[in-house]
Amino acid sequence: MIATKLGISKSDSKLTMAFIYVAFISLFIGGLMGLLQTLVRSGSLSLPWGITYYQVLTVHGVILGLVLTTFFIIGFQYALMAKTVGISKKQRLYAWLSFIVMLIGTVMAAVMVLLGKASVLYTFYAPLQAHPIFYFGLALVIIGSWIACFVNFRQLYVWKKTHKDEKSPLLAFMVVINMVLWFIATLGVAAAVIVQFIPWSLGYAETINVLVSRTLFWYFGHPLVYFWLLPAYMAWYAIIPKIIGGKIFSDSLARLSFVLFLLFSIPVGFHHQLTEPGIDPTWKFIQVVLTFMVIIPSLMTAFSMFAMFEITGRRKGFRGLFGWFKHLPWKDVRFFAPMVGMLAFIPAGTGGIINASHQLNNVIHNTMWVTGHFHLTVATTVLLTFFGISYWLIPHLTGRKLTKKINNLGLIQTVIWAVGMTIMSGSMHISGLLGAPRRSAFSEYGGTAQASDWIGYQIAQAVGGTILFIGILLMVYIFLQLTFFAPKGQEEFPIAEEEVNAQPTPLFLENWKLWIGITIGLILFAYTIPFIDIILHAPTGSEPFAWPIGNS
Amino acid sequence: MENAEKQKSEERVETPNLKGTLLSVLLLGVFIIVSWFGVFALFLSR
Repeated sequence: MIATKLGISKSDSKLTMAFIYVAFISLFIGGLMGLLQTLVRSGSLSLPWGITYYQVLTVHGVILGLVLTTFFIIGFQYALMAKTVGISKKQRLYAWLSFIVMLIGTVMAAVMVLLGKASVLYTFYAPLQAHPIFYFGLALVIIGSWIACFVNFRQLYVWKKTHKDEKSPLLAFMVVINMVLWFIATLGVAAAVIVQFIPWSLGYAETINVLVSRTLFWYFGHPLVYFWLLPAYMAWYAIIPKIIGGKIFSDSLARLSFVLFLLFSIPVGFHHQLTEPGIDPTWKFIQVVLTFMVIIPSLMTAFSMFAMFEITGRRKGFRGLFGWFKHLPWKDVRFFAPMVGMLAFIPAGTGGIINASHQLNNVIHNTMWVTGHFHLTVATTVLLTFFGISYWLIPHLTGRKLTKKINNLGLIQTVIWAVGMTIMSGSMHISGLLGAPRRSAFSEYGGTAQASDWIGYQIAQAVGGTILFIGILLMVYIFLQLTFFAPKGQEEFPIAEEEVNAQPTPLFLENWKLWIGITIGLILFAYTIPFIDIILHAPTGSEPFAWPIGNS
Repeated sequence: MENAEKQKSEERVETPNLKGTLLSVLLLGVFIIVSWFGVFALFLSR
């Protein structure tokens, strides 16, 4: 049997830190691009040296939405797995391979985007066409992440072999759910990139089936949102209770909610394509119903968080209806940052329900509302939780301490983020409801009367964006402090425990064959007939559009 | 018999007080419903 030692060794620290370096470099570059975008759209800046708005927009979306998130998540998950189920030398070697493959892919795609050869936005919608190297880069990022999937699967498998009849550690279970979700979801986008985009961009195929490519993208694109969210939920369910001096509210509830996310986050991509012609409305309706099923684990999580806070507070002796809320450790940034993220998820999740409702989607489709929505979900809920994790994870890995000074800077950073995002995302939501389109470089739209209603909100977005960029600079400073300059010491890796008298977790929650089987069944149910229909009744494929944006 | 009753009452004492949680999730539900109908009204009015 391969001996694996639990805990984070120096080699494990190096591995996770490698991923985190990429994540924070991405944060800085991507954030700067975001600032430039808001300044261009508010009419206060023209980009120099022939740089185009769409080039900047693509860098922003790809580097923050795909690179920062994926690298942080995979690095964080390696740390969680090493801590809870251990990692062998061989597994660590493969983990490094995953990092290198992902990094090479990222550099290939990033160079093409920066050269203006892949201004196709992060959704790389056909018929916009990028340079083939961009697609090869994307394919490598996906392949690298698959290596990470199989390392994590193997880690739990090896642990299970030596711990028969024991339930797996909660965090390890959650990591594996997230990686199963990622693997199944990325099959779609990998198919689109390898079968459609690469031959088309190389000139082997003259045209591309646009609807198939978009359908495959959103088959991946929605679970992508949950791939971002689930690591945040891992921290909420299993790490925050320890930080606030409490216990896990319910191990079974946490596992069940993760299982439900696996089942219902994939067969739902059509709710991103509600205005897309060529998809049978019945199947759009079915996928909307499945989308609404995701509300169940989301509300289970909300209930579980409130309950965990209340039980902990009351145990500490805080009375009254909301005494527990008032006395949460608001001055501990490891709690404060993720908590603000959780609170942001209330309007963010609500916005999601609105987006997925067909009639309401018609009001907000392709407007700034959508941009405001995902800046609340991924750029606030997820990102603030990732920052919250960084405050203890980075010093734990670098053998340093989270000092009081850095803690206070973190509190300020979180407030700056909350204020900047409220202004930016709030104005995006409102201008979206007023009809302002997203993804356009223009701010005045030829001087039409309607556009004059939007310009005030675009200026507000620039104000919010500037505040957010100050927040990014502060966060990068904190990252450098925690990595290189904070005093040497030991920082806790907080993992919460269950209540002593907790009910045993039902074994069926770890029946992987059952859950993966149902997941595949639901995907086949939701996609087979409409997908055949899309292929059989496809219009003529499209030739590439490389200009005015794309590859020019 | 007495022991069983005592155990039962202890179990009752152990049941956590989740009134704040109940009110919080109800408020959350109201927020979702009001927002949803707000945008739906916008849809109907256009």
